[in-house]
Amino acid sequence: MTADLQYSHPLDLHPFLLATDEHEEERSCQEDRQQAVVIMAEVEETLKRIQTHKGVIGTIVVNAEGIPIRTTLDNSTTVQYAGLLHQLTMKARSTVRDIDPQNDLTFLRIRSKKHEIMVAPDKEFLLIIIQNPNE
Amino acid sequence: MFTDEVLDGVEIQSVWRKRNQLATETRDSQTRAVHYEESGVQTRGSTTAQSSQTEEAAHHPHQQVDFLGGHQEALQGLKDFLHGVEDMVLRALAANAKSHAFDGFHVNWEEHSHMVSCVHRMHHPSAQEKALHVTCVSWNSTGSVIACAYGRMDDGDWTSEKSYVCTWNLDRGGVNAERADLVIDVHSAVTALCFHPTLPNVITGGLYSGEVVVWDTSRTQDPLVAQTGMSAQSHREPVYQVVWVPCRGSRDLGVLSGSSGGRVLLWKLESDQRRLLLSEGYAFVREQVPHSSYAHTKAHGSAMVGVTSLAVSPWHSDTFVVGSEGGLLLKCSFSSQTPAAVPRCDHQEDVAGSVTLRAPAVFCFRATNHSPVHSIHWSPFHRNLFLSTGTDGLVHLHSVLQANPLLSVRVSDSSYVFQVRWSPTRPLVFAAATGQGAVQVFDLGRRSIRPVASMDVGGVGGVATCLAFNHRAPGLLALGSTHGHLHVWTLSAELTEQQPNEMLRLEQLAAEVAE
Repeated sequence: MTADLQYSHPLDLHPFLLATDEHEEERSCQEDRQQAVVIMAEVEETLKRIQTHKGVIGTIVVNAEGIPIRTTLDNSTTVQYAGLLHQLTMKARSTVRDIDPQNDLTFLRIRSKKHEIMVAPDKEFLLIIIQNPNE
Repeated sequence: MFTDEVLDGVEIQSVWRKRNQLATETRDSQTRAVHYEESGVQTRGSTTAQSSQTEEAAHHPHQQVDFLGGHQEALQGLKDFLHGVEDMVLRALAANAKSHAFDGFHVNWEEHSHMVSCVHRMHHPSAQEKALHVTCVSWNSTGSVIACAYGRMDDGDWTSEKSYVCTWNLDRGGVNAERADLVIDVHSAVTALCFHPTLPNVITGGLYSGEVVVWDTSRTQDPLVAQTGMSAQSHREPVYQVVWVPCRGSRDLGVLSGSSGGRVLLWKLESDQRRLLLSEGYAFVREQVPHSSYAHTKAHGSAMVGVTSLAVSPWHSDTFVVGSEGGLLLKCSFSSQTPAAVPRCDHQEDVAGSVTLRAPAVFCFRATNHSPVHSIHWSPFHRNLFLSTGTDGLVHLHSVLQANPLLSVRVSDSSYVFQVRWSPTRPLVFAAATGQGAVQVFDLGRRSIRPVASMDVGGVGGVATCLAFNHRAPGLLALGSTHGHLHVWTLSAELTEQQPNEMLRLEQLAAEVAE
């Protein structure tokens, strides 16, 4: 009678902790990071094109909750602009849709004595640009 | 016969069982001990954080307020959004920069008055009987109370004439032109006056006798709150300017006073003792003043340089500019540590609490003529510009960075100019009180430098001695004359509302280099 014995490693029960699978996960994280870098560079480039246009004083990107996520102005001014314009954009949008439910707000421009504020709205973001047209 | 017999049984052993059992044996066998080892495995690094951070952090023109929570989907969403709106936005920006659609388009939000007119004309009868002049006016921090101080502009001797400080409240209906709301009797002529910038009822005044006094107009019994005693270190000559300045290290304001005795002293209020305590002192000694072209004047008399006007920079709390009797304009610093070479007169005891005087002068602007500088005012819109005026009928626009004035505006033909003030709302407008009896308002944005508005104080031989803009109601301007009258004028809307390009023009002016 022969006895069959298998050499069994205790960690055989947990295959995914072995070294080979670890490397795969790290590789995918690195790819993600590289891709994020690429996307971020494109975002910055677009914002830079807008910011360096003639007469532009400042650019702010606001998310759906009214919190600024990108800005070229100082902190207190940014927070002020973001809060006020977020509310105004919501009001403008509801005005347009109340008049005609099939219509929607595409762009908002406010002209004042000293400069012009432009707001490009979206479902998730808001782009605010302040330009001095007299320059 | 018969007997029992026991016979043994016969045993036959079974053969078949034995045959089978013959072949069996029992044997033991044992395997050797299994050799095993423990080893642990751990993943290297926490790769699940996924914070997407760009590698080059130094060249960022944009502040990163939030990293979008690090989610790549949100980042992708931002990129798509920007991609979608970029074209529209750039087109709108370009069209805006070229468009003439709004040229000359002005909206009337308020009633615009185009007239400059006098709304109030007040005086104090007993002061007028004594033929006292209004020496300075000041608006309080809320903009509703105007105070004026009486004294003399032309006296050169010591005088022990009593004078007054009168206040009128213009926002309470029914301003009585003959009766002031509050009259404070002062034992000497008042030469300088300044309301506290935040407390609406505290005024400080500088007297002809060299004292600095603080009044509180809300106390009906005795408005006097504190005054400086006559100590060895207080002023001995008339105090020509008093200003409230923030004290370093505490939230209270102190009073900075400048007198023609050559000293600028900073006083702190100790209200429980009814005294103003000297906290810091600065002295201007002729030898310590940096000259640029002053070396040729002979120094007669005392070696001190008398201060006739001073202005503290609202932008940089360490700098102040001082104008002297001899026409010197000096830029000074509060934190200078050089001790002043004050000649010690005999009988000068070292009183406990005496302060060493320091020489604050840092830089000397080129003097245009050697006569007293009557007034200096720092521009509220630009950190480097200030106006100064003296007796030559010119108002000079100086930049702190250069010795020569940038611009000189002829305000009056040959008479003195007693005070010049910038407008608090329009960066290019200033008003000057001339010896010919008119207050002229100038606009530097216009091509021809002629007065935009001219306000006459009326009467023959009257001289406009002082003026003050109201910071809360920018259309109001108060001016005082030697007839003892206090006038309040309203300015037209064009003199009070900022035009679109004014700041730009002011920056251009400041950046010019004087030849």
